Amino acid sequence: MTREEAHKLLHAYVDGELDAAKTLELEAHLAENPAARAACERLREMSAAIRDRADYHVAPPALAARLRASVPAAPQKAPRLAWRRWLKPAAAFAAVALLTWVVAVQTLRPGEDEGIAREVLASHVRATLANRLFDVPSSDQHAVKPWLSTRLAFSPPVADVSAHGFELRGGRLDYVGGQSVAVLVYQRRQHTIDVFVWPATAEKAQQALTVNGFNVESFARGGMSFWLVSDLNRNELRDFARLVAAAP
Amino acid sequence: MLPHLDAAYNLARWLTRNDHDAEDVVQEAVLRAYRFFDGLRGEARPWLLAIVRNSCLSWLQVNRPAELAGFDDRAAEPIDETSPETLAVRQCDRRILNEALAALSAQFREALILRELEDLSYKDIARITDVPVGTVMSRLSRGRRLLAESLQAISNAAAPQVHK
Repeated sequence: MTREEAHKLLHAYVDGELDAAKTLELEAHLAENPAARAACERLREMSAAIRDRADYHVAPPALAARLRASVPAAPQKAPRLAWRRWLKPAAAFAAVALLTWVVAVQTLRPGEDEGIAREVLASHVRATLANRLFDVPSSDQHAVKPWLSTRLAFSPPVADVSAHGFELRGGRLDYVGGQSVAVLVYQRRQHTIDVFVWPATAEKAQQALTVNGFNVESFARGGMSFWLVSDLNRNELRDFARLVAAAP
Repeated sequence: MLPHLDAAYNLARWLTRNDHDAEDVVQEAVLRAYRFFDGLRGEARPWLLAIVRNSCLSWLQVNRPAELAGFDDRAAEPIDETSPETLAVRQCDRRILNEALAALSAQFREALILRELEDLSYKDIARITDVPVGTVMSRLSRGRRLLAESLQAISNAAAPQVHK
């Protein structure tokens, strides 16, 4: 791969838009070229700077109120199926989520890891759908950890990575792979990240999986298995996984 | 009740660069979107954003036609694609970054907003902005380059006054 080719692909790589073959090619190029690696790092910084520091303009409440006042009036005059569906966003959302989950389940090939990915993804979607994200809401790692430890046969490590823009929101209990597990809930902008933790027998290198909009990262270290699920983009979730893995 | 309203407003606010105009455009666009809801195919957010974006363009065409000069890709100045990006972005503060982003011409600004703030795929951005995926890629790459250059210029200009 030439320098020019690599440079062209760099943006797509940083945006997580490169296919697997090109990603491998580019990563081989990056491994040999410190200058290209530096350029890649700068691009990531630029991307992160915009995400973290550019203003996200939320619709003013008055605008939402005006729209709410004028929108529901129409369907009463002309009730149509599509209108009724629009007016029941919860049902629509449930349908989309269910579809996503069904597709996700079908896309995954059977196998031990895939089976687990399927379970943690289902748990993530269920928690989001039912709006039951945590049993213990707290941004304090020293509150979440003991709450989980007293209810489990192990004590999950709870990383404080708020300095990097990942806020701890709380924790919950769930059941994955035939055992009770800890789920730590983090937030990055409007994205929720579930971190599933349970005891592992062997170490495992970091592994990524993308299933219909959801990104899954998994690794095992220090006797614990970690599975991360979120609709956060792949690069940021990977960075988050590295932070969690590096946390003391 | 009103899904994706924040995304719609954020895009309109970045394209019109004004709260009041953004409200007007979003109100009109969302009502129009609801009227044509039957025509909805696929995912709702890119579809709504495409309507909002087109409303913004029509609005700009009538009220501030000069700003749309930026939508002609051929008018974009050629950029040396191989020169390294600058480091000024690391130190820039929120206000400077927002100003530099707002100063970008519209096609780069919308591509960056859709990509970085809405986290949309190249395919969705291509659909919303009605250009091929290749154009989305080149707009993102040029937009980031132009942004880095303008941040660098600002930090160079500010450097002599910095006291610590």
